[in-house]
Amino acid sequence: MRIEKALTLYEKLNILTDAAKYDVACTSSGTERKNDGNGTGSCQQSGICHSFSADGRCISLLKILFTNECIYDCKYCVNRRTNDVMRTSFTPEEVCTLTMEFYRRNYIEGLFLSSGVLKSPDYTMELLYATLHKLRTEYRFQGYIHVKAIPGASQELIRRIGFLADRMSVNLELPTAEGLKLLAPHKTRKKILTPMRLVQNGMEENKKELILYRNAPSFVPAGQSTQMIIGASPESDYQILQVTESLYQKFELKRVFYSAFVPVNEDAMLPARTDEGPPLLREHRLYQADWLLRYYHFRAEELLSEEEPNFNVLFDPKCNWALKHLECFPVEINRADYKMLLRVPGIGYKSASRIVKARRLGVLDFPDIKKMGVVLKRALYFITCNGKMMYPTKLEEDYIARNLLDTKEKLPKEVVNMGYQQMSLFDDVRFREDFYEKNLCV
Amino acid sequence: MKRIYVCNDTVTGILSAIYDAWKKEKNSENCSIAFRGKVEAELFCDYVEVEETEHKARAVEAMICKHLGESVYGDLYYAMLSADRQKADAVLGTMLEARTLSDSRRIMEHLSHPKVEKVFELSRRVGAEAHALKGFVRFKELSGGILYSEIAPKAQLLTCLAPHFAERLPMENWMICDRTHEEYAVHEAGKRWVLVQNEVLDPSVVSEVSERELLYEKLWQGFCQTISIKERENIKSQRGHLPLRYRPYMVEF
Repeated sequence: MRIEKALTLYEKLNILTDAAKYDVACTSSGTERKNDGNGTGSCQQSGICHSFSADGRCISLLKILFTNECIYDCKYCVNRRTNDVMRTSFTPEEVCTLTMEFYRRNYIEGLFLSSGVLKSPDYTMELLYATLHKLRTEYRFQGYIHVKAIPGASQELIRRIGFLADRMSVNLELPTAEGLKLLAPHKTRKKILTPMRLVQNGMEENKKELILYRNAPSFVPAGQSTQMIIGASPESDYQILQVTESLYQKFELKRVFYSAFVPVNEDAMLPARTDEGPPLLREHRLYQADWLLRYYHFRAEELLSEEEPNFNVLFDPKCNWALKHLECFPVEINRADYKMLLRVPGIGYKSASRIVKARRLGVLDFPDIKKMGVVLKRALYFITCNGKMMYPTKLEEDYIARNLLDTKEKLPKEVVNMGYQQMSLFDDVRFREDFYEKNLCV
Repeated sequence: MKRIYVCNDTVTGILSAIYDAWKKEKNSENCSIAFRGKVEAELFCDYVEVEETEHKARAVEAMICKHLGESVYGDLYYAMLSADRQKADAVLGTMLEARTLSDSRRIMEHLSHPKVEKVFELSRRVGAEAHALKGFVRFKELSGGILYSEIAPKAQLLTCLAPHFAERLPMENWMICDRTHEEYAVHEAGKRWVLVQNEVLDPSVVSEVSERELLYEKLWQGFCQTISIKERENIKSQRGHLPLRYRPYMVEF
């Protein structure tokens, strides 16, 4: 039913935020920009989190849809054409004012503008372009902008908008082409990968231009990212991780985000609604493996295989790898090379680099590496300092696994719900060795 | 006999104390720096009152930058801002230890030394708080259009925060008030920011907000509530990332 009614800005913001909340990325990292003295805003390489919502996710950007009208009918999406929800659109002016007023109060680091598809991909992309152009030129906004590239939009539009944004992303939506065909009948893998390739090529060209002309405008300086929904289609973790790996390698993405499927629609094609809640542990394991690919020199097939296609519930992927490769351990802290240190459970990439530097200046012992951020209760089974282990331990899979489970760390909620409560001694590796690693959004 | 240098708990104070100590001391066992008003009396010690001057502070700063490098100065500076009582000793101890290394610039890698490790730890903690506050500072628009913010950090962070906001809001009049240390960073549009200490602000000046301020506060509060996904609610995680102590000064809580 169509009822026309003028909405207040508050109501619009409410509707278009609610419609945007399932988008994962909130990152404001990856680019450093100073203010030119004539406008508002700057960017910081590390990104800045401005708040945290009740679900524990970081709020960094004003994450909104331009419109929640949509010509598509993706089965998992709250904005699908066939859903009877209140529809509205911002004007470019409204988006600009909100961004500027929030920014100067330091509520946000910038704008994340996504959109439903209004009339056609090009028509929608034009609107996004007009908004960003106004924001960058009229309002002289120099903070962070993340914009969605709409699959199917013309090459020229994507090129133009790329010069206004810091980051662009095209949602992969689902890990495989089959999943897409089933759940997003109007989108195809090709339509999604085309803009991704365009952005990649644009960045490549821009790099060359920047070498020639230092002041050439920069194209998507913070790189591109994507996201996929986990648990709406039947792919295994191994398949998902392989897709991720090839996205990093072939499309040079900055980040791949995973979004645990939250059922918002009833549809025969979607998994049946259960009481278990979204598959958060699975999502968490995927992020951990993602870190291992990007920072720890692991390859997808080292972590999972056709025979073992899903992550271990009890152990994080790195711990799991170590338990299966005890022949590589123990490693000597004072001699092992950096890449091997990275593979030790309880040693993060920052503590590994601290170890490598500090051991040039003196011999390291267990208390020293503890201060550097190594989580000893996890690492102690896998390392020696000066040829000695911290305690006498056995290098056996069962023995170590049992002891790791005994370290009295809390069990994730999902595992409790699955009936593992008796083992309330779960050791959850969240790569917490370092402050900056705590956030998924770095 | 052990000498204890007594100074104020400011960067200028600590650097002046280091200036005085540097010529006499070779070894961090025999000397210590204590803060005026917080001295714990020890037996068999000489207490030396430090005369604090900008000149001494600049000289030590220049010396550190020259011999240890700017990045090490950054760590030492952060450590000096912290609320820890032993911070000055840790800084002095680290500098004395750097003398013994063949490449003094690598001093911060020497984490098996207790003083260096202390500076590393303090610097990390202060750096983390400064980074967090870059996001958690909330300005409200006063009736004159001035942006005003209050914070209550553990460390003396204004000198870390002000350059950040001066960079990003060069055309605004703004002011950040540090309630813990009663200091202010004040920025006038188009000018450099200044640090104001030992002044009392008349509360009536900052109590009246602009007309549209309430509208944007309400919009922001609505946004923060709506953006959360109910099925994923996790208050503990939220508290881990955004500790309660920051929230009294944040409009969305």
